[in-house]
Amino acid sequence: TVRPKNEVEQKQLCAFGEYVAEILPKYIQQVQVTCFNELELLIHPDGIIPVLTFLRDHTNAQFKSLADLTAVDVPSRQYRFEIVYNLLSLRFNTRIRVKTYTDELTPVDSAVSVHKAANWYEREVWDMYGVFFANHPDLRRILTDYGFEGHPFRKDFPLSGYVEV
Amino acid sequence: MFMFSTQTTGLVGLAVAENPHERLRILYTKILGVLQNIPKDAAYRKYTEQIVNQRFNLVQTETDVQKLQDKLNSGHIEEVIVQAENELSLARKMIQWKPWEPLVEEPPSDQWRWPV
Repeated sequence: TVRPKNEVEQKQLCAFGEYVAEILPKYIQQVQVTCFNELELLIHPDGIIPVLTFLRDHTNAQFKSLADLTAVDVPSRQYRFEIVYNLLSLRFNTRIRVKTYTDELTPVDSAVSVHKAANWYEREVWDMYGVFFANHPDLRRILTDYGFEGHPFRKDFPLSGYVEV
Repeated sequence: MFMFSTQTTGLVGLAVAENPHERLRILYTKILGVLQNIPKDAAYRKYTEQIVNQRFNLVQTETDVQKLQDKLNSGHIEEVIVQAENELSLARKMIQWKPWEPLVEEPPSDQWRWPV
């Protein structure tokens, strides 16, 4: 069986994507809607805090809830890490995804000032990928062992690690 | 339908607002004043003025709190007040960030290609 296409929702998401892109042309590089009705905003890394604050505070886009904060490692690109924020609006019952990029050495603004929930998520991204978050209140390791060296989720980190257990 | 209770909003942390029309009037005039500092052709100014004027008219014409809540269709009147305060702080920050300018920097050509 094939999932039925919801044309109405797709059109609404496209319209909302164009609305946001018209308001924030300084930071939004691309807007896309996937075939299963997920809206994604592709952002320049300088615009993380403005875009997240806009999505949280604006009346037409009350995305008060940060559902997830992750990173994706694509080593073949110049900026290998792609930071992904998943937001949920309780007023309008919609979700949106905001994506940014960075490489190993460039710091990224922390989203903690906008969403308190980002605290541990950013610690996890730092621990697993090595992406540094500027203005984070307490950036330290959260999942790896105390003397662990390396960032396990990177694609060049071997599956069984460097240290024999 | 459950009658509007004037003792509690039913939401944790939100006290019942006495005189919500006055508070909303003050907040919306402040927002419109802040928006004057943005260039007239910015999309943010256009859309926010539209939303604020629409809500302002509703607040001024409708004196009954319950009917105002139904017309605004945006939850309790205290939530509308909180939303207006958020919009005000956002407008002040927008003046500093200036997001209506053209794109800061183009991404590398293979950055957003998927599958890689």
